[in-house]
Amino acid sequence: MLETSTLYGLLGIVLASLGLHAVILQTDTLRRVLAINILGVGVFLVFIATAYNGPDAAPDPVPHALVLTGIVVAVAATALALALRRRLESSAEDGDDE
Amino acid sequence: MSFDALLILDVLLAALLLMLAIAALHSHSMHQSIILFIVFGLVTALAWARLKAPDVALAEATIGSGVAGALLLAALRDNRSGSAITPSPGRPAWQVLSVTYLVIGLMLTAAWAFLDAHANNSGPRLGGLVQAELANSGVGNPVTAVLLNFRAFDTLLELAVLLAALLGVLLLGPARPAPRPAGPVVTQLVAWLTPLLIVSAGYVLWVGAHAPGGAFQAGALLAAGGIIMRLGGSRYSGLPSGFWMRLIAVGGSGVFLFVGLAAMSGDASLLQYPRDWAGTLILLIEIFATLSIAASLVLVYLGGRPDAWAPDQERGHA
Amino acid sequence: MNEAMALTIALPLFGALAAAAWPGRSSVIGILSVLLSGAAVTWLFTLVMTHGEAYQLLGGWQAGLAIALHADFLAAVMLLLTALVALAISVYATCYFRSPRDAARFWPLWLLLLAALNGLFLSADLFNLYVTLELLGLSAVALTALSGKRAAIRAALRYLLVGLLGSLGYLAGVAILYTGFGTLDMQQVGERIAVDPASEIALILMTGGLLLKTALFPLHFWLPAAHSNAPAPVSAALSALVVKAGFYLVLRLWTEVFAEAISPQGAMLIGLLGCAAIIWGSWQALKAERLKLLAAYSTVAQLGYLFVGLMLLFTTPMGQDYELVLGAIMLMALTHGFAKSSLFLAIGVVQQRAGHDRIAELDGTSQRLPATTFAIALAGTALIGLPPSGAFLGKWHLLSASIDAGQWLLVLVMSIGSLLAAAYVFRVLGHAFGNAAFASRPVNMALQEWPALALGLVATLLLGLGSHWIWAFLEISS
Repeated sequence: MLETSTLYGLLGIVLASLGLHAVILQTDTLRRVLAINILGVGVFLVFIATAYNGPDAAPDPVPHALVLTGIVVAVAATALALALRRRLESSAEDGDDE
Repeated sequence: MSFDALLILDVLLAALLLMLAIAALHSHSMHQSIILFIVFGLVTALAWARLKAPDVALAEATIGSGVAGALLLAALRDNRSGSAITPSPGRPAWQVLSVTYLVIGLMLTAAWAFLDAHANNSGPRLGGLVQAELANSGVGNPVTAVLLNFRAFDTLLELAVLLAALLGVLLLGPARPAPRPAGPVVTQLVAWLTPLLIVSAGYVLWVGAHAPGGAFQAGALLAAGGIIMRLGGSRYSGLPSGFWMRLIAVGGSGVFLFVGLAAMSGDASLLQYPRDWAGTLILLIEIFATLSIAASLVLVYLGGRPDAWAPDQERGHA
Repeated sequence: MNEAMALTIALPLFGALAAAAWPGRSSVIGILSVLLSGAAVTWLFTLVMTHGEAYQLLGGWQAGLAIALHADFLAAVMLLLTALVALAISVYATCYFRSPRDAARFWPLWLLLLAALNGLFLSADLFNLYVTLELLGLSAVALTALSGKRAAIRAALRYLLVGLLGSLGYLAGVAILYTGFGTLDMQQVGERIAVDPASEIALILMTGGLLLKTALFPLHFWLPAAHSNAPAPVSAALSALVVKAGFYLVLRLWTEVFAEAISPQGAMLIGLLGCAAIIWGSWQALKAERLKLLAAYSTVAQLGYLFVGLMLLFTTPMGQDYELVLGAIMLMALTHGFAKSSLFLAIGVVQQRAGHDRIAELDGTSQRLPATTFAIALAGTALIGLPPSGAFLGKWHLLSASIDAGQWLLVLVMSIGSLLAAAYVFRVLGHAFGNAAFASRPVNMALQEWPALALGLVATLLLGLGSHWIWAFLEISS
């Protein structure tokens, strides 16, 4: 039967692909930011799935730390992207378009 | 062959995550997409908990779903005055098809590679080394040990990343206007929730040394308190103004760097804490890091530079 | 040695924190930090030259558990390039960002960018590299958006999204490597690597992500807008240093981690993309209407040369020729770093004086700003690859290596590239000469014009005449 690690690892790859697909094809900035975050979660899933050592043994803490760092970095980048978007949206009201 | 109940849970979680992701990415309403994304984050936290990663689950729920969700919802209101999000023009079919085929190809190759890699190496990887040195690290929680001792340099740089994002947000324009004072129900709710969040943050920070928790989760909880205060009508969510605001924002990285350099006495390397002091130093760093993270997250939620950031410089247009 | 490595990263970081906390004093703190970290880099460089390469395991833990820093000749050279170019840019920036408000926004982010670059060049840990890449990307994006103009913000947003995609691609590769080999240390992965699906996919993901950040054709689409709309000192840093960091990482990964997993076809592909970059970039630069756009496209083209060199590195057997090609790549990277930053700073001066940077309307600039025009000429010489610039020797060796390897396409493309570069440089200089009388003094705005001039002189004279040291040091270190 499918091992837990393998299942979640493959799930991560599928989620990452969904995110990648949306980043390339979507045009709206907010959607792209969502897609990048989902792509990130996919990659994190691969890390954490690798760290899982079964129900009895302790998991490998290093990928946990890496993913924690990754989550914070993703939120920081999201905040910057949203601020840039806000500036774009507000300056568009002043006349010049595209 | 017996059906493992956990396997059913896993399959359900996986299916749920996939459906939420697809729905969030392809929904027609932006508002719906963001809500679905928040739920996606919470279910991801469940997945982390299932995979025995409680620290990550806490962080995902507070930061990845909570703070990120708050940021996205606030961003929804940034649209050009009056317009709801106009439906984006579709891409030509050939683009959609070619990208889809390419991504599917990449996905299948990556899946095959992952399966191969996983099959060939299912040892403890670095976990064994961590277990061996955990007693020397000064804390009992292996994830905290990795974050703040073994791989402390990564965490230091990560605080710098947060600072860079904060500085970027600050330079782009003034903060969003303060919300109007809230009605009695919200005000009562804020009055109850904020102290609760502050106490929880303190607890999570303290307990992070030997149980799931730590500076990042605590910082996010504090930030949540700040965001709630802001929603209740507060202007700066209780942050001090001027020099102290800036000092809190940079304090986490500053203390971390200072401790890391100060530890380099004799022949030591950067961030090599003296063994006896490791636990205390880690706690010290975590306290300042929590405050920095909380302040940074609240400030980026404000969406721009508040007047309080550098009051003596606020002459002229923003 | 440990202290030198730590200070190289810590000094700019401390400076950034101080500049953020005391915005009124940010210029002074900024220049001081750049000077001090330059001193630390010089110290580190001399230590590497005298004692050879060194590792530092941060925290004192064992290899694999700890993050490793690695200072060898290549890293030291890149650090030195960064320090010198950063010094020139900083001097220029004290004039460019004169108002306290602009200065307070520039310096903290600029110092964070420096810290990220220094950390990236020294790091030998795969995940640590990811964090430095993100720090580099976010600070670069924020600096690009500094002017607040709509075009700049749009370019910055695109730069951010593309950069995030690139770093996540890199991280995905790291995830697969960790799954397969159980470590994040570059040296350890290099020892355990084998020709299996995991390594190949990780190679593709990591290289793809880094190529996106290095703007190799066809993944360069974001660069012209970002580099041409950023303020002049930021454009100089982006073209001269930030994109080099991506190439440096590809070079490191290919030569140290994935050395056995690189197939000849993979190397050929990179080489072909490099050729396409040279032709496309030079052609677009020729057609450009604005100086900054020309310079940005020129960066796209010059990066192509670096990747052509990378391909040659893998088609050349170890030994004398290998060192020759490696030295040529480093020389090209160094020369381009100095030349491109010189060009962007000079363009900044022109833009401030004339109010615009349209090439067709540059008439008489050389008379009003003789020193700056001279700097543009020097930078242009280095970009074309005329003697005695460093690029001349670099291209010479790349050409001879291509001939030895029988890669006639590379020879053709590099020659055409040089011709096109000559065309667009002379086009600019031709417009700059008009009929007005010459200015009475050669240097009109000292602090603004000297940095560009100094960088141009290094690119064209120092590097060319002193380039034999590079090969000498390469032999010492190997």
